[in-house]
Amino acid sequence: MRKNIGLKSFAWLVFAFLLIPLLIIVITSFGTNSTIQFPIKGFTFNWYGKVFQNESFMDSFVLSLEVAFIGTLAALIIGVPAAYSLARHKVFGRNWIKSFFLSPTIVPGLVVGYAVYQFVVIQFQFPILQGLMLGHFLICLPYVIRVVGSTIEQLDFSIEEVSWTLGCTKLQTFFKIVIPNITSGIFASFMLAFINSFNNIPVSQFLSGPGVTMLPTSLMNYIEYNYDPSVSALSVVLMLGTIVLMFIIEKTLGLASIS
Amino acid sequence: MTQRRLPYIILAPGMILLILFLVLPLISIIFPTFFDGGFTFANYISFFKDEYNLGIFWRTLRVSLIATLVCVLLGVPTAYYISQSPKKWRGLLMSITLFPLLTNSVVRSFAWITILGQGGIINTALMNFGIISKPLTLLYTEFSIIIGSVYLFLPLMVITLVGILENIDSEMMEAAETLGANRFIAFMKVILPLSVPGIIVGSILVFTGSMTAYTTPQLLGGNRNIMLATFLYQNATALGNWKGASVIALIMIAATVIVMKLFDWVAKRMDKRGEASA
Amino acid sequence: MSYVELKDIRVSYDNKTDILKDLNLSIEKGELVSLLGPSGCGKTTTLRVIAGLIQPNDGEFLVDRHNLTKVPVHKREFGMVFQSYALFPHLTIKENVAFGLKLRKEKKSVIDQKVKDILAITGLEELGDRYPKQLSGGQRQRVALARALVIEPKLLLLDEPLSNLDAKLRIAMRIEIKRIQSQLGITSVFVTHDQEECFSISDKVAVMNKGVIEQFDTPEEIYKNPKTEFVARFIGFENFFDLTLIEKGKYKAVDGTIFLSTRQWEEEKKTGTIRPDDIEIVSEAGDANTVSGTIKVRTFLGKSYQYEVETSIGTLLVNEVDDVIYQVGDTITLSIPSHKLIIV
Ligand SMILES: Nc1ncnc2c1ncn2[C@@H]1O[C@H](COP(=O)(O)OP(=O)(O)OP(=O)(O)O)[C@@H](O)[C@H]1O
Ligand SMILES: [Mg+2]
Repeated sequence: MRKNIGLKSFAWLVFAFLLIPLLIIVITSFGTNSTIQFPIKGFTFNWYGKVFQNESFMDSFVLSLEVAFIGTLAALIIGVPAAYSLARHKVFGRNWIKSFFLSPTIVPGLVVGYAVYQFVVIQFQFPILQGLMLGHFLICLPYVIRVVGSTIEQLDFSIEEVSWTLGCTKLQTFFKIVIPNITSGIFASFMLAFINSFNNIPVSQFLSGPGVTMLPTSLMNYIEYNYDPSVSALSVVLMLGTIVLMFIIEKTLGLASIS
Repeated sequence: MTQRRLPYIILAPGMILLILFLVLPLISIIFPTFFDGGFTFANYISFFKDEYNLGIFWRTLRVSLIATLVCVLLGVPTAYYISQSPKKWRGLLMSITLFPLLTNSVVRSFAWITILGQGGIINTALMNFGIISKPLTLLYTEFSIIIGSVYLFLPLMVITLVGILENIDSEMMEAAETLGANRFIAFMKVILPLSVPGIIVGSILVFTGSMTAYTTPQLLGGNRNIMLATFLYQNATALGNWKGASVIALIMIAATVIVMKLFDWVAKRMDKRGEASA
Repeated sequence: MSYVELKDIRVSYDNKTDILKDLNLSIEKGELVSLLGPSGCGKTTTLRVIAGLIQPNDGEFLVDRHNLTKVPVHKREFGMVFQSYALFPHLTIKENVAFGLKLRKEKKSVIDQKVKDILAITGLEELGDRYPKQLSGGQRQRVALARALVIEPKLLLLDEPLSNLDAKLRIAMRIEIKRIQSQLGITSVFVTHDQEECFSISDKVAVMNKGVIEQFDTPEEIYKNPKTEFVARFIGFENFFDLTLIEKGKYKAVDGTIFLSTRQWEEEKKTGTIRPDDIEIVSEAGDANTVSGTIKVRTFLGKSYQYEVETSIGTLLVNEVDDVIYQVGDTITLSIPSHKLIIV
């Protein structure tokens, strides 16, 4: 009943600013011209075909999925128990340890990749793929610690105590009581970490080599020399992926839980 | 005995991995920058003595600062609008905001290439309408990096602020109005001061994010508008100057930490709601 | 014409159901009027219409003959105390109180003086430099009151200002509010769902139900002479039974028992009601106004016993302080005094 036209128009201009560039990409992906044009002349799906025929895109897409998945999984395996311990146990220097676990966020992504590359790949001769996975593990870990940590802190401690009084060991309690009650937090942190790892460029920038190129990096390399609608088409495919993920998150957790 | 050791056993794997693959690598790249025969700051002093390097350093700070300010200016009213809209709409508005954030940053920067480029949408439109005869140079400028950074980080600012604004009791605004403030004044005097903590958190994210971003300056900045991250990469790869790259790495880390501490300090100074002495 | 007039106010949030249905209310200058009613009946909505925080779909709102229906909140100059107090957490108590005065661009010396005076009246002198977080509930409530009063409002609006306080503080604060209100002579509207609080503080009470005012009267009148079954139930009449009219003041119950009532008489009303406290247990049945029954349930209430008695006119609740304690299953005779029997 009480409206504010000024505020409303301002906000919608901002929403337009956020959406229109992406919308333009969608439109340009259907253009027939061999360079990107707007407005488009003609209409074709060819560029999508081109994307799926492009081996380097497809290979790097698979690699990106693998690396993001392994990085996130490793972060969960290491991070969930650590987050639990930080929330529940009396740990000497708790805040310090927690900051330490979160420290990969303070170090710029490019520097993380650079340091890992110099030390792990050059100095210790690890294969570059392992370095890449390590780098992604590092950037995934803070999401797990933060999101799962806050979920555990909100979990009523007495349900664990009840479980102990009923004869469960601490380990059994962790798996039977704690884990089922923090699945939403685990899932949310998985999604967040996975998306960020999949989209991340700076960390992978140094950690790439022959046959080891992540999708965003290969897209970026492609853009440097090409300006054709297949870039738009690949972008649209990635956006569709984002929409699917957002939909899954909305249906399972509600988007509010990851923002 | 085992009880007391247990947490450390649980925490150990993560800590060891972090030490092995983050701390040691960082030390291994940073350490040599301080040694040249003996201990020395020479590498850093010469970095900051070089006009070219300084130019990059200041450009990075300038771009990040402007991007942060723009994000605050655009973000605060937008977040307020979202926080005030009915529940059923809020989800949709949040999705509109989240969508770009979850979209790959290459895609997001690329969108601006198609808009700002020589043959891009703006130039084409302006020329078609006969407003200009030669394309404007919009892309590969500081301006385009700023737009790209705002585009990259505005959603982060909005989402951070919505979280804070939603928790401000709507009666607060109404109370100010019953006391004689029109809505604009009520917003400026009540809502804005109360959202300062959110603005600060958001600003930290935007500022440090733009300062260390690689993709956007790489794609939208071109060769003449290098920022610290792109400079680091250039040094390490094209120039083969590993030590130079490491110097930049430390400067970026230090700048990030300093900015965070600075903002935190400002936040503490401004947030005088008496919690400390209560 | 009264000082404050609400005329045929209709409010609907969704344009389907009316939350307020043609609501009328008149308030005299200097009066404290309470809106009393169950949760969700529209008390807050009424208050927000008065404040200007909601535009009514229909109807008019006048103060001192001026039509304010379309005047925005910030130009109405009413003080409002919110249920949550809505103190500004980033401002000190003094700054909170001075907020409205500063907007009126008054001189600093004037502001300081007024703030000082109102803090004295509300007993907050010592606390001026603290922040809201550093105060107790009762102190915060007084700050909210001071902040609303200091602008010398034409109308003071209070939305359940005491509901966040504990029982003792509620009583102390309502006396305080009444004292300050009558001392300053401010016309006030007070929202509550607590009848004791409402009766003790108000000059007049409007009992609301589902968006309409069922009765608007002095507290005594409402307590003694509820006009409708809803009002009667709301203020503690628990026994209701059907009657048929024989002649003025004389009724017949379903079992044929004659009931006399000396209370207000209106032709169309045919339900008898009485408080459990007002029914007496007597040794033998009389010609009229008595009925016998069997005790089904006995409940200890502390100062009395409550008996649930099944009679030929329905189940009646009786509170009895007598020394004689009856057992479940006993048959007793109840007297319903004609001067206590209300017809609604
Ligand atoms: N913003 C709104 N949108 C839709 N319906 C509303 C809104 N505010 C209140 N209502 C509805 O209007 C009716 C009256 O609400 P109101 O807040 O006036 O009740 P109240 O008498 O103050 O109750 P309480 O004692 O619980 O505070 C309720 O049924 C409520 O659900
Ligand atoms: Mg209410």
